[in-house]
Amino acid sequence: MYFTVVAVNVGIFVLLALSLNIIIGYAGQSAMGHAAFFGIGAYTSALMTSTMGISFWISLPVALIVTGIIGAVLGLISIRLKDDFLAITTIGINFVVVAIFQYSEIFGASLGMTVSKPLFFGVKMTAPMYLTLIFILIVLTCLFINKMNKSWFGLALASIRNDEMAASSLGIDVNKYKVLAFTLGTAIAGLTGAVYAHFMTFIYSSDFAFIVSISIISMVVVGGIGTIKGAIFGAVLLGVAPELFRFLADYRMIVYGGLLVLMMRFQPQGLLGDNSFIMRNISKIFANIKKQKGGGQNAGNA
Amino acid sequence: MQEMLRVEKLKMHFGGLKAIDGLDLVVHDKETLGIIGPNGAGKTTLFNCICGVYKPTDGKIFLKDEEVQGKEPFEMARKGVARTFQISKPLRDISILDNVVAALGINEYTGFGSILKKSHKKEIVDKALEIIERTGLKEFKDKKAREVSLGYLRRLEIARALAINPLLIMLDEPCAGLSNFAINEVIDLVMQLKSEGKTIVLIEHNLPISMKVCDRLAVLNFGQKIAEGTPKEIQANPQVIEAYLGEEDDDHVNA
Ligand SMILES: Nc1ncnc2c1ncn2[C@@H]1O[C@H](COP(=O)(O)OP(=O)(O)O)[C@@H](O)[C@H]1O
Ligand SMILES: [Mg+2]
Repeated sequence: MYFTVVAVNVGIFVLLALSLNIIIGYAGQSAMGHAAFFGIGAYTSALMTSTMGISFWISLPVALIVTGIIGAVLGLISIRLKDDFLAITTIGINFVVVAIFQYSEIFGASLGMTVSKPLFFGVKMTAPMYLTLIFILIVLTCLFINKMNKSWFGLALASIRNDEMAASSLGIDVNKYKVLAFTLGTAIAGLTGAVYAHFMTFIYSSDFAFIVSISIISMVVVGGIGTIKGAIFGAVLLGVAPELFRFLADYRMIVYGGLLVLMMRFQPQGLLGDNSFIMRNISKIFANIKKQKGGGQNAGNA
Repeated sequence: MQEMLRVEKLKMHFGGLKAIDGLDLVVHDKETLGIIGPNGAGKTTLFNCICGVYKPTDGKIFLKDEEVQGKEPFEMARKGVARTFQISKPLRDISILDNVVAALGINEYTGFGSILKKSHKKEIVDKALEIIERTGLKEFKDKKAREVSLGYLRRLEIARALAINPLLIMLDEPCAGLSNFAINEVIDLVMQLKSEGKTIVLIEHNLPISMKVCDRLAVLNFGQKIAEGTPKEIQANPQVIEAYLGEEDDDHVNA
Protein backbone atom coordinates (compact mmCIF):
# COMPACT_ATOMS: atom_id res chain seq x y z
CA MET A 1 0.00 0.00 0.00
CA TYR A 2 2.72 2.42 1.01
CA PHE A 3 4.69 1.44 -2.07
CA THR A 4 1.68 2.05 -4.29
CA VAL A 5 1.07 5.49 -2.82
CA VAL A 6 4.69 6.49 -3.36
CA ALA A 7 4.54 5.08 -6.89
CA VAL A 8 1.43 7.11 -7.73
CA ASN A 9 3.08 10.26 -6.41
CA VAL A 10 6.23 9.59 -8.40
CA GLY A 11 4.09 8.86 -11.47
CA ILE A 12 2.39 12.23 -11.07
CA PHE A 13 5.79 13.91 -10.97
CA VAL A 14 6.81 11.97 -14.09
CA LEU A 15 3.78 13.35 -15.95
CA LEU A 16 4.51 16.87 -14.71
CA ALA A 17 8.17 16.61 -15.73
CA LEU A 18 7.29 15.21 -19.16
CA SER A 19 4.78 17.99 -19.77
CA LEU A 20 7.05 20.80 -18.56
CA ASN A 21 9.78 19.36 -20.75
CA ILE A 22 7.68 20.10 -23.85
CA ILE A 23 7.84 23.80 -22.96
CA ILE A 24 11.34 24.22 -21.55
CA GLY A 25 13.13 21.27 -23.12
CA TYR A 26 11.76 21.11 -26.66
CA ALA A 27 10.56 24.66 -27.23
CA GLY A 28 13.28 26.22 -25.04
CA GLN A 29 10.95 28.60 -23.17
CA SER A 30 11.70 29.43 -19.55
CA ALA A 31 8.37 28.57 -17.94
CA MET A 32 8.65 28.72 -14.17
CA GLY A 33 5.05 28.37 -13.04
CA HIS A 34 4.06 24.87 -14.13
CA ALA A 35 2.40 24.04 -10.80
CA ALA A 36 -0.25 26.70 -11.53
CA PHE A 37 -1.56 24.59 -14.41
CA PHE A 38 -1.32 21.40 -12.36
CA GLY A 39 -3.56 23.26 -9.89
CA ILE A 40 -5.98 24.58 -12.51
CA GLY A 41 -6.59 21.00 -13.68
CA ALA A 42 -6.96 19.78 -10.10
CA TYR A 43 -9.49 22.46 -9.10
CA THR A 44 -11.38 22.23 -12.41
CA SER A 45 -11.96 18.51 -12.02
CA ALA A 46 -12.65 18.77 -8.28
CA LEU A 47 -15.28 21.40 -8.99
CA MET A 48 -16.88 19.16 -11.61
CA THR A 49 -17.01 15.97 -9.59
CA SER A 50 -17.46 17.23 -6.05
CA THR A 51 -19.58 20.35 -6.54
CA MET A 52 -21.45 19.53 -9.76
CA GLY A 53 -21.60 15.77 -9.42
CA ILE A 54 -20.14 15.02 -12.86
CA SER A 55 -18.22 11.79 -13.45
CA PHE A 56 -14.46 11.74 -12.81
CA TRP A 57 -13.93 10.20 -16.23
CA ILE A 58 -15.55 13.15 -17.93
CA SER A 59 -13.65 15.58 -15.72
CA LEU A 60 -10.32 14.19 -16.97
CA PRO A 61 -10.58 15.37 -20.58
CA VAL A 62 -12.34 18.57 -19.48
CA ALA A 63 -9.47 19.38 -17.08
CA LEU A 64 -7.07 18.76 -19.98
CA ILE A 65 -8.94 21.08 -22.32
CA VAL A 66 -9.77 23.84 -19.82
CA THR A 67 -6.18 23.99 -18.57
CA GLY A 68 -4.91 23.95 -22.15
CA ILE A 69 -7.15 26.88 -23.05
CA ILE A 70 -6.06 28.88 -19.99
CA GLY A 71 -2.46 27.94 -20.81
CA ALA A 72 -2.96 29.16 -24.39
CA VAL A 73 -4.42 32.49 -23.27
CA LEU A 74 -1.67 33.12 -20.71
CA GLY A 75 0.83 31.94 -23.31
CA LEU A 76 -0.50 34.45 -25.84
CA ILE A 77 -0.14 37.24 -23.30
CA SER A 78 3.42 36.44 -22.29
CA ILE A 79 4.86 34.82 -25.40
CA ARG A 80 6.58 37.85 -26.84
CA LEU A 81 8.65 38.08 -23.66
CA LYS A 82 12.09 36.56 -23.71
CA ASP A 83 13.94 34.39 -21.23
CA ASP A 84 14.15 36.17 -17.89
CA PHE A 85 11.01 38.23 -18.54
CA LEU A 86 9.06 35.12 -19.42
CA ALA A 87 10.48 33.39 -16.34
CA ILE A 88 9.39 36.21 -14.04
CA THR A 89 5.97 36.49 -15.69
CA THR A 90 5.30 32.77 -15.28
CA ILE A 91 6.39 32.93 -11.63
CA GLY A 92 3.89 35.76 -11.23
CA ILE A 93 1.17 33.67 -12.89
CA ASN A 94 1.90 30.88 -10.39
CA PHE A 95 1.42 33.23 -7.42
CA VAL A 96 -1.75 34.79 -8.84
CA VAL A 97 -3.33 31.41 -9.58
CA VAL A 98 -2.53 30.10 -6.09
CA ALA A 99 -4.01 33.28 -4.59
CA ILE A 100 -7.21 32.74 -6.59
CA PHE A 101 -7.51 29.21 -5.18
CA GLN A 102 -6.81 30.48 -1.70
CA TYR A 103 -9.33 33.32 -1.67
CA SER A 104 -12.23 32.02 -3.82
CA GLU A 105 -15.17 30.51 -1.95
CA ILE A 106 -15.96 28.08 -4.78
CA PHE A 107 -12.48 26.57 -4.38
CA GLY A 108 -12.97 26.20 -0.64
CA ALA A 109 -10.81 29.26 -0.05
CA SER A 110 -8.40 28.78 2.86
CA LEU A 111 -10.08 25.52 3.93
CA GLY A 112 -9.14 23.70 0.72
CA MET A 113 -11.44 21.36 -1.16
CA THR A 114 -12.58 17.87 -0.29
CA VAL A 115 -12.76 15.79 -3.43
CA SER A 116 -15.19 12.89 -3.70
CA LYS A 117 -13.77 9.45 -4.46
CA PRO A 118 -14.46 8.50 -8.06
CA LEU A 119 -16.02 5.21 -9.07
CA PHE A 120 -14.77 2.82 -11.69
CA PHE A 121 -17.63 0.56 -12.83
CA GLY A 122 -19.37 1.06 -9.50
CA VAL A 123 -16.33 0.43 -7.29
CA LYS A 124 -14.37 3.12 -5.50
CA MET A 125 -10.97 3.70 -7.14
CA THR A 126 -8.18 2.05 -5.16
CA ALA A 127 -4.50 3.00 -5.12
CA PRO A 128 -3.51 0.22 -7.56
CA MET A 129 -6.18 1.45 -9.94
CA TYR A 130 -4.74 4.95 -9.76
CA LEU A 131 -1.30 3.51 -10.38
CA THR A 132 -2.62 1.74 -13.47
CA LEU A 133 -4.29 4.92 -14.67
CA ILE A 134 -1.11 6.96 -14.13
CA PHE A 135 0.93 4.33 -15.89
CA ILE A 136 -1.38 4.40 -18.90
CA LEU A 137 -1.23 8.21 -18.99
CA ILE A 138 2.59 8.13 -18.84
CA VAL A 139 2.76 5.65 -21.70
CA LEU A 140 0.32 7.72 -23.80
CA THR A 141 2.25 10.92 -23.05
CA CYS A 142 5.56 9.29 -24.04
CA LEU A 143 4.04 7.97 -27.27
CA PHE A 144 2.66 11.40 -28.01
CA ILE A 145 5.97 13.18 -27.33
CA ASN A 146 7.79 10.62 -29.41
CA LYS A 147 5.44 11.21 -32.32
CA MET A 148 5.75 14.97 -31.84
CA ASN A 149 9.54 14.78 -31.97
CA LYS A 150 9.47 12.98 -35.29
CA SER A 151 7.03 15.44 -36.82
CA TRP A 152 7.30 18.88 -38.41
CA PHE A 153 5.92 20.20 -35.13
CA GLY A 154 8.91 18.80 -33.25
CA LEU A 155 11.33 20.21 -35.81
CA ALA A 156 9.66 23.62 -35.51
CA LEU A 157 10.15 23.55 -31.74
CA ALA A 158 13.78 22.48 -32.14
CA SER A 159 14.35 25.36 -34.56
CA ILE A 160 12.78 27.88 -32.19
CA ARG A 161 14.79 26.56 -29.25
CA ASN A 162 17.99 27.06 -31.23
CA ASP A 163 17.42 30.40 -32.90
CA GLU A 164 14.13 32.22 -33.26
CA MET A 165 15.29 34.42 -36.11
CA ALA A 166 16.63 31.46 -38.07
CA ALA A 167 13.41 29.55 -37.39
CA SER A 168 11.27 32.36 -38.77
CA SER A 169 13.48 32.59 -41.86
CA LEU A 170 12.48 28.96 -42.51
CA GLY A 171 8.78 29.77 -42.52
CA ILE A 172 8.06 28.93 -38.89
CA ASP A 173 5.55 31.18 -37.11
CA VAL A 174 7.61 31.38 -33.93
CA ASN A 175 4.99 32.97 -31.67
CA LYS A 176 2.29 30.57 -32.76
CA TYR A 177 4.43 27.51 -32.11
CA LYS A 178 5.52 28.81 -28.72
CA VAL A 179 1.86 29.20 -27.72
CA LEU A 180 1.09 25.71 -29.05
CA ALA A 181 3.95 24.20 -27.02
CA PHE A 182 2.68 26.08 -23.97
CA THR A 183 -0.83 24.80 -24.63
CA LEU A 184 0.29 21.17 -24.90
CA GLY A 185 2.48 21.28 -21.80
CA THR A 186 -0.08 23.02 -19.62
CA ALA A 187 -2.92 20.78 -20.84
CA ILE A 188 -1.06 17.63 -19.79
CA ALA A 189 -0.26 19.26 -16.42
CA GLY A 190 -4.00 19.97 -16.02
CA LEU A 191 -4.88 16.35 -16.74
CA THR A 192 -2.31 15.28 -14.16
CA GLY A 193 -3.86 17.68 -11.66
CA ALA A 194 -7.25 16.04 -12.13
CA VAL A 195 -5.82 12.62 -11.26
CA TYR A 196 -3.90 14.09 -8.32
CA ALA A 197 -6.96 15.79 -6.82
CA HIS A 198 -8.99 12.58 -6.82
CA PHE A 199 -6.16 10.43 -5.59
CA MET A 200 -5.50 12.78 -2.66
CA THR A 201 -9.25 13.38 -2.02
CA PHE A 202 -8.28 16.74 -0.56
CA ILE A 203 -6.57 19.66 -2.26
CA TYR A 204 -5.30 22.88 -0.87
CA SER A 205 -3.90 25.92 -2.69
CA SER A 206 -0.35 25.39 -1.40
CA ASP A 207 -0.22 22.00 -3.19
CA PHE A 208 0.33 24.09 -6.33
CA ALA A 209 2.67 26.74 -4.97
CA PHE A 210 5.75 28.08 -6.72
CA ILE A 211 7.90 25.69 -4.73
CA VAL A 212 6.20 22.81 -6.55
CA SER A 213 7.09 24.43 -9.88
CA ILE A 214 10.70 24.53 -8.72
CA SER A 215 10.56 20.82 -7.85
CA ILE A 216 9.31 19.98 -11.35
CA ILE A 217 11.99 22.14 -12.96
CA SER A 218 14.64 20.44 -10.81
CA MET A 219 13.46 17.06 -12.05
CA VAL A 220 13.67 18.07 -15.70
CA VAL A 221 17.05 19.74 -15.27
CA VAL A 222 18.60 16.96 -13.18
CA GLY A 223 17.37 14.23 -15.50
CA GLY A 224 18.24 15.95 -18.73
CA ILE A 225 16.42 18.73 -20.47
CA GLY A 226 14.79 17.86 -23.78
CA THR A 227 14.71 14.07 -23.51
CA ILE A 228 11.94 11.68 -22.44
CA LYS A 229 14.28 9.41 -20.49
CA GLY A 230 15.82 12.38 -18.69
CA ALA A 231 12.47 13.76 -17.53
CA ILE A 232 11.36 10.33 -16.29
CA PHE A 233 14.68 9.62 -14.60
CA GLY A 234 14.76 13.03 -12.90
CA ALA A 235 11.19 12.70 -11.63
CA VAL A 236 11.78 9.20 -10.29
CA LEU A 237 15.11 10.14 -8.70
CA LEU A 238 13.88 13.28 -6.97
CA GLY A 239 10.46 11.78 -6.25
CA VAL A 240 11.81 8.62 -4.59
CA ALA A 241 14.89 10.01 -2.80
CA PRO A 242 12.95 11.80 -0.01
CA GLU A 243 11.00 8.56 0.62
CA LEU A 244 14.13 6.43 0.83
CA PHE A 245 16.03 8.85 2.99
CA ARG A 246 13.43 10.10 5.39
CA PHE A 247 15.77 12.70 6.85
CA LEU A 248 15.98 14.24 3.36
CA ALA A 249 12.26 14.95 3.26
CA ASP A 250 12.53 17.91 5.62
CA TYR A 251 15.35 19.37 3.59
CA ARG A 252 13.76 18.63 0.22
CA MET A 253 13.96 22.20 -1.00
CA ILE A 254 17.58 22.64 0.05
CA VAL A 255 18.46 19.45 -1.79
CA TYR A 256 16.53 20.44 -4.92
CA GLY A 257 17.94 23.95 -4.90
CA GLY A 258 21.47 22.70 -4.33
CA LEU A 259 21.08 20.12 -7.11
CA LEU A 260 19.83 22.80 -9.50
CA VAL A 261 22.88 24.95 -8.84
CA LEU A 262 25.27 22.00 -9.15
CA MET A 263 23.68 20.75 -12.37
CA MET A 264 23.77 24.19 -13.98
CA ARG A 265 27.41 24.53 -13.04
CA PHE A 266 28.71 21.06 -13.92
CA GLN A 267 26.22 19.25 -16.10
CA PRO A 268 23.76 21.67 -17.69
CA GLN A 269 22.56 19.01 -20.14
CA GLY A 270 21.32 16.89 -17.19
CA LEU A 271 22.39 13.44 -16.02
CA LEU A 272 20.90 11.65 -19.02
CA GLY A 273 20.98 14.57 -21.45
CA ASP A 274 22.67 14.65 -24.79
CA ASN A 275 26.45 14.40 -24.34
CA SER A 276 26.22 14.24 -20.52
CA PHE A 277 28.85 12.43 -18.45
CA ILE A 278 26.64 9.36 -18.00
CA MET A 279 25.49 9.17 -21.62
CA ARG A 280 29.04 9.55 -22.91
CA ASN A 281 30.13 6.63 -20.79
CA ILE A 282 27.15 4.51 -21.71
CA SER A 283 27.83 5.07 -25.39
CA LYS A 284 31.51 4.26 -24.79
CA ILE A 285 30.54 1.00 -23.14
CA PHE A 286 28.25 0.14 -26.05
CA ALA A 287 30.98 1.03 -28.53
CA ASN A 288 33.38 -1.26 -26.67
CA ILE A 289 30.92 -4.13 -26.65
CA LYS A 290 30.44 -3.70 -30.39
CA LYS A 291 34.17 -3.57 -30.93
CA GLN A 292 34.72 -6.72 -28.90
CA LYS A 293 32.01 -8.53 -30.78
CA GLY A 294 33.40 -7.34 -34.09
CA GLY A 295 36.93 -8.26 -32.98
CA GLY A 296 35.77 -11.73 -31.95
CA GLN A 297 34.29 -12.37 -35.36
CA ASN A 298 37.43 -11.22 -37.10
CA ALA A 299 39.51 -13.52 -34.90
CA GLY A 300 37.20 -16.37 -35.83
CA ASN A 301 37.68 -15.65 -39.52
CA ALA A 302 41.44 -15.53 -39.25
CA MET B 1 12.73 42.67 -67.97
CA GLN B 2 10.37 41.55 -65.23
CA GLU B 3 10.73 42.87 -61.74
CA MET B 4 11.24 40.49 -58.86
CA LEU B 5 11.55 43.06 -56.10
CA ARG B 6 10.92 46.80 -55.91
CA VAL B 7 11.82 49.00 -52.97
CA GLU B 8 10.24 52.49 -52.98
CA LYS B 9 11.31 55.43 -50.82
CA LEU B 10 12.25 53.06 -48.03
CA LYS B 11 13.08 54.56 -44.67
CA MET B 12 14.25 52.74 -41.57
CA HIS B 13 15.03 55.02 -38.68
CA PHE B 14 16.26 53.94 -35.26
CA GLY B 15 15.50 56.94 -33.10
CA GLY B 16 17.54 59.68 -34.70
CA LEU B 17 19.68 57.29 -36.73
CA LYS B 18 18.61 57.05 -40.36
CA ALA B 19 19.90 53.57 -41.24
CA ILE B 20 17.91 53.61 -44.51
CA ASP B 21 16.89 57.01 -45.74
CA GLY B 22 14.67 57.11 -48.80
CA LEU B 23 16.00 54.18 -50.79
CA ASP B 24 14.69 53.12 -54.21
CA LEU B 25 15.84 49.83 -55.62
CA VAL B 26 14.73 47.31 -58.22
CA VAL B 27 15.84 43.70 -58.57
CA HIS B 28 15.01 42.17 -61.94
CA ASP B 29 14.02 38.58 -62.50
CA LYS B 30 17.04 36.25 -62.84
CA GLU B 31 19.65 38.93 -62.23
CA THR B 32 22.36 39.06 -59.60
CA LEU B 33 22.35 42.44 -57.91
CA GLY B 34 25.26 43.37 -55.70
CA ILE B 35 24.86 45.75 -52.76
CA ILE B 36 28.11 47.40 -51.77
CA GLY B 37 28.96 50.18 -49.40
CA PRO B 38 31.06 50.85 -46.32
CA ASN B 39 30.35 49.37 -42.91
CA GLY B 40 27.23 50.83 -41.36
CA ALA B 41 25.86 51.96 -44.75
CA GLY B 42 22.58 50.15 -44.09
CA LYS B 43 23.03 47.00 -46.19
CA THR B 44 21.98 44.50 -43.54
CA THR B 45 19.19 46.81 -42.43
CA LEU B 46 17.87 46.79 -46.01
CA PHE B 47 17.77 42.97 -45.91
CA ASN B 48 16.04 43.03 -42.55
CA CYS B 49 13.37 45.36 -43.93
CA ILE B 50 12.79 43.21 -47.00
CA CYS B 51 12.63 40.01 -44.91
CA GLY B 52 10.23 41.45 -42.37
CA VAL B 53 12.64 41.45 -39.42
CA TYR B 54 12.24 45.24 -39.20
CA LYS B 55 9.01 47.09 -39.92
CA PRO B 56 10.08 50.01 -42.13
CA THR B 57 9.49 53.53 -40.81
CA ASP B 58 8.16 54.48 -44.23
CA GLY B 59 8.11 53.40 -47.86
CA LYS B 60 6.95 50.38 -49.81
CA ILE B 61 8.32 47.01 -50.80
CA PHE B 62 6.84 44.93 -53.63
CA LEU B 63 7.59 41.28 -54.30
CA LYS B 64 6.48 40.69 -57.88
CA ASP B 65 3.34 42.83 -57.71
CA GLU B 66 2.41 42.27 -54.10
CA GLU B 67 2.94 44.90 -51.43
CA VAL B 68 4.85 43.14 -48.65
CA GLN B 69 6.33 45.74 -46.30
CA GLY B 70 5.59 45.02 -42.65
CA LYS B 71 4.93 41.31 -43.17
CA GLU B 72 6.34 38.83 -40.67
CA PRO B 73 9.65 37.07 -41.47
CA PHE B 74 7.99 33.64 -41.69
CA GLU B 75 5.49 35.03 -44.21
CA MET B 76 8.27 36.47 -46.37
CA ALA B 77 10.06 33.12 -46.27
CA ARG B 78 6.88 31.36 -47.37
CA LYS B 79 6.45 33.89 -50.17
CA GLY B 80 9.83 32.78 -51.47
CA VAL B 81 12.32 35.25 -50.04
CA ALA B 82 15.31 33.34 -48.67
CA ARG B 83 18.08 35.05 -46.77
CA THR B 84 21.34 34.18 -45.13
CA PHE B 85 22.61 35.95 -42.05
CA GLN B 86 25.80 37.97 -41.86
CA ILE B 87 26.33 36.38 -38.45
CA SER B 88 25.50 32.71 -39.06
CA LYS B 89 22.43 31.44 -37.29
CA PRO B 90 22.71 27.67 -37.33
CA LEU B 91 20.29 25.47 -35.39
CA ARG B 92 23.20 24.44 -33.21
CA ASP B 93 22.02 21.39 -31.35
CA ILE B 94 20.60 19.51 -34.34
CA SER B 95 22.51 17.94 -37.23
CA ILE B 96 23.40 19.62 -40.51
CA LEU B 97 20.95 17.26 -42.20
CA ASP B 98 18.17 18.26 -39.80
CA ASN B 99 18.96 21.94 -40.40
CA VAL B 100 18.29 21.45 -44.10
CA VAL B 101 15.24 19.25 -43.47
CA ALA B 102 13.82 22.00 -41.23
CA ALA B 103 14.08 24.40 -44.16
CA LEU B 104 12.46 21.91 -46.55
CA GLY B 105 9.47 21.91 -44.20
CA ILE B 106 8.71 25.54 -45.02
CA ASN B 107 5.12 24.79 -46.07
CA GLU B 108 4.48 22.18 -43.38
CA TYR B 109 4.47 24.42 -40.31
CA THR B 110 0.71 24.69 -40.11
CA GLY B 111 0.17 24.40 -36.35
CA PHE B 112 -1.20 21.47 -34.34
CA GLY B 113 -1.81 19.53 -37.55
CA SER B 114 1.93 19.32 -38.10
CA ILE B 115 2.19 16.87 -35.16
CA LEU B 116 0.60 14.25 -37.37
CA LYS B 117 3.06 14.65 -40.24
CA LYS B 118 6.41 12.91 -40.04
CA SER B 119 9.30 15.19 -40.99
CA HIS B 120 12.02 12.78 -42.11
CA LYS B 121 10.17 11.05 -44.94
CA LYS B 122 12.41 9.41 -47.48
CA GLU B 123 11.77 11.90 -50.28
CA ILE B 124 12.49 14.80 -47.91
CA VAL B 125 15.73 13.27 -46.65
CA ASP B 126 16.78 12.53 -50.24
CA LYS B 127 16.11 16.12 -51.22
CA ALA B 128 18.07 17.36 -48.19
CA LEU B 129 21.00 15.10 -49.08
CA GLU B 130 20.97 16.43 -52.64
CA ILE B 131 21.23 20.03 -51.35
CA ILE B 132 23.87 19.00 -48.82
CA GLU B 133 25.86 17.36 -51.59
CA ARG B 134 25.84 20.41 -53.86
CA THR B 135 26.74 22.79 -51.05
CA GLY B 136 29.70 20.61 -50.11
CA LEU B 137 28.46 19.60 -46.67
CA LYS B 138 28.22 15.86 -47.24
CA GLU B 139 30.93 14.72 -44.85
CA PHE B 140 29.36 16.77 -42.03
CA LYS B 141 25.74 15.82 -42.58
CA ASP B 142 25.42 13.96 -39.26
CA LYS B 143 27.46 16.44 -37.25
CA LYS B 144 25.67 18.85 -34.98
CA ALA B 145 25.78 22.35 -36.43
CA ARG B 146 27.69 23.57 -33.37
CA GLU B 147 30.52 21.20 -34.26
CA VAL B 148 31.37 22.58 -37.71
CA SER B 149 33.51 25.59 -38.57
CA LEU B 150 32.42 29.01 -39.82
CA GLY B 151 33.10 28.21 -43.47
CA TYR B 152 30.71 25.29 -43.38
CA LEU B 153 28.12 27.24 -41.41
CA ARG B 154 28.12 29.77 -44.26
CA ARG B 155 27.41 26.96 -46.69
CA LEU B 156 24.72 25.69 -44.36
CA GLU B 157 23.09 29.13 -44.54
CA ILE B 158 23.09 28.86 -48.34
CA ALA B 159 21.86 25.25 -48.20
CA ARG B 160 18.92 26.27 -46.03
CA ALA B 161 18.15 29.17 -48.33
CA LEU B 162 18.06 26.81 -51.31
CA ALA B 163 15.89 24.35 -49.42
CA ILE B 164 13.01 26.78 -49.15
CA ASN B 165 12.94 26.78 -52.97
CA PRO B 166 13.00 30.57 -53.18
CA LEU B 167 12.09 33.12 -55.81
CA LEU B 168 14.74 35.43 -54.46
CA ILE B 169 17.95 34.56 -52.60
CA MET B 170 19.49 37.27 -50.45
CA LEU B 171 23.05 36.63 -49.27
CA ASP B 172 24.52 38.84 -46.55
CA GLU B 173 28.33 38.83 -46.84
CA PRO B 174 28.62 35.09 -47.41
CA CYS B 175 32.40 35.35 -47.78
CA ALA B 176 33.22 37.48 -44.77
CA GLY B 177 35.76 35.94 -42.44
CA LEU B 178 36.52 32.99 -44.72
CA SER B 179 39.88 31.78 -46.04
CA ASN B 180 40.64 32.40 -49.71
CA PHE B 181 39.98 28.77 -50.46
CA ALA B 182 36.58 28.84 -48.77
CA ILE B 183 35.76 32.17 -50.47
CA ASN B 184 36.36 30.64 -53.88
CA GLU B 185 34.10 27.74 -53.06
CA VAL B 186 31.30 30.08 -51.99
CA ILE B 187 31.79 32.14 -55.16
CA ASP B 188 31.59 28.98 -57.28
CA LEU B 189 28.36 28.09 -55.54
CA VAL B 190 26.87 31.54 -56.18
CA MET B 191 27.96 31.40 -59.84
CA GLN B 192 26.28 28.03 -60.12
CA LEU B 193 23.00 29.41 -58.73
CA LYS B 194 23.29 32.32 -61.12
CA SER B 195 23.74 30.02 -64.11
CA GLU B 196 20.57 28.20 -63.05
CA GLY B 197 18.68 31.46 -63.47
CA LYS B 198 18.13 32.20 -59.77
CA THR B 199 17.48 35.80 -58.73
CA ILE B 200 20.12 36.86 -56.22
CA VAL B 201 20.87 39.90 -54.10
CA LEU B 202 24.40 39.77 -52.75
CA ILE B 203 25.84 42.01 -50.07
CA GLU B 204 29.58 41.81 -50.50
CA HIS B 205 32.03 44.20 -48.96
CA ASN B 206 34.88 42.93 -51.11
CA LEU B 207 34.72 44.77 -54.47
CA PRO B 208 36.62 42.32 -56.70
CA ILE B 209 34.20 39.59 -55.61
CA SER B 210 31.04 41.58 -56.28
CA MET B 211 32.44 42.85 -59.60
CA LYS B 212 33.06 39.29 -60.64
CA VAL B 213 29.74 37.82 -59.55
CA CYS B 214 27.15 40.55 -60.08
CA ASP B 215 25.34 41.81 -63.19
CA ARG B 216 24.61 45.15 -61.54
CA LEU B 217 25.78 46.92 -58.42
CA ALA B 218 24.04 49.38 -56.14
CA VAL B 219 26.22 51.46 -53.86
CA LEU B 220 24.87 52.46 -50.45
CA ASN B 221 26.25 55.13 -48.17
CA PHE B 222 24.54 56.54 -45.07
CA GLY B 223 21.32 54.71 -45.95
CA GLN B 224 21.09 56.21 -49.44
CA LYS B 225 21.87 54.87 -52.86
CA ILE B 226 24.72 56.93 -54.27
CA ALA B 227 25.20 54.99 -57.49
CA GLU B 228 23.87 52.10 -59.50
CA GLY B 229 25.03 50.37 -62.67
CA THR B 230 27.13 47.64 -64.17
CA PRO B 231 30.39 46.83 -62.41
CA LYS B 232 32.26 48.80 -65.09
CA GLU B 233 30.12 51.90 -64.63
CA ILE B 234 30.49 51.71 -60.87
CA GLN B 235 34.23 51.39 -61.09
CA ALA B 236 34.36 54.60 -63.11
CA ASN B 237 31.89 56.60 -61.01
CA PRO B 238 33.70 59.48 -59.25
CA GLN B 239 31.21 59.61 -56.36
CA VAL B 240 31.79 55.94 -55.67
CA ILE B 241 35.53 56.33 -55.86
CA GLU B 242 35.32 59.08 -53.30
CA ALA B 243 32.92 57.38 -50.90
CA TYR B 244 34.06 53.84 -51.20
CA LEU B 245 36.93 53.00 -53.48
CA GLY B 246 39.03 55.88 -52.19
CA GLU B 247 38.56 54.64 -48.70
CA GLU B 248 39.59 51.20 -49.86
CA ASP B 249 42.80 52.70 -51.30
CA ASP B 250 43.53 54.35 -47.97
CA ASP B 251 43.17 50.97 -46.35
CA HIS B 252 45.80 49.62 -48.68
CA VAL B 253 48.14 52.50 -47.91
CA ASN B 254 47.69 51.92 -44.21
CA ALA B 255 48.15 48.19 -44.55
N1 LIG C 1 18.24 47.26 -34.47
C1 LIG C 1 18.97 48.39 -34.58
N2 LIG C 1 18.88 49.36 -33.66
C2 LIG C 1 19.61 50.49 -33.76
N3 LIG C 1 20.48 50.73 -34.74
C3 LIG C 1 20.63 49.79 -35.70
C4 LIG C 1 19.89 48.57 -35.67
N4 LIG C 1 20.24 47.82 -36.74
C5 LIG C 1 21.16 48.55 -37.41
N5 LIG C 1 21.40 49.73 -36.80
C6 LIG C 1 22.31 50.78 -37.24
O1 LIG C 1 22.03 51.05 -38.60
C7 LIG C 1 23.22 51.35 -39.29
C8 LIG C 1 23.35 50.44 -40.47
O2 LIG C 1 23.69 49.14 -40.01
P1 LIG C 1 23.79 47.89 -40.98
O3 LIG C 1 22.60 47.84 -41.83
O4 LIG C 1 24.08 46.70 -40.13
O5 LIG C 1 25.08 48.25 -41.85
P2 LIG C 1 25.88 47.39 -42.90
O6 LIG C 1 25.81 48.17 -44.16
O7 LIG C 1 27.28 47.31 -42.38
O8 LIG C 1 25.25 46.05 -42.99
C9 LIG C 1 24.36 51.21 -38.29
O9 LIG C 1 24.69 52.48 -37.82
C10 LIG C 1 23.77 50.35 -37.22
O10 LIG C 1 24.36 50.62 -35.97
MG1 LIG D 1 25.94 44.17 -42.55
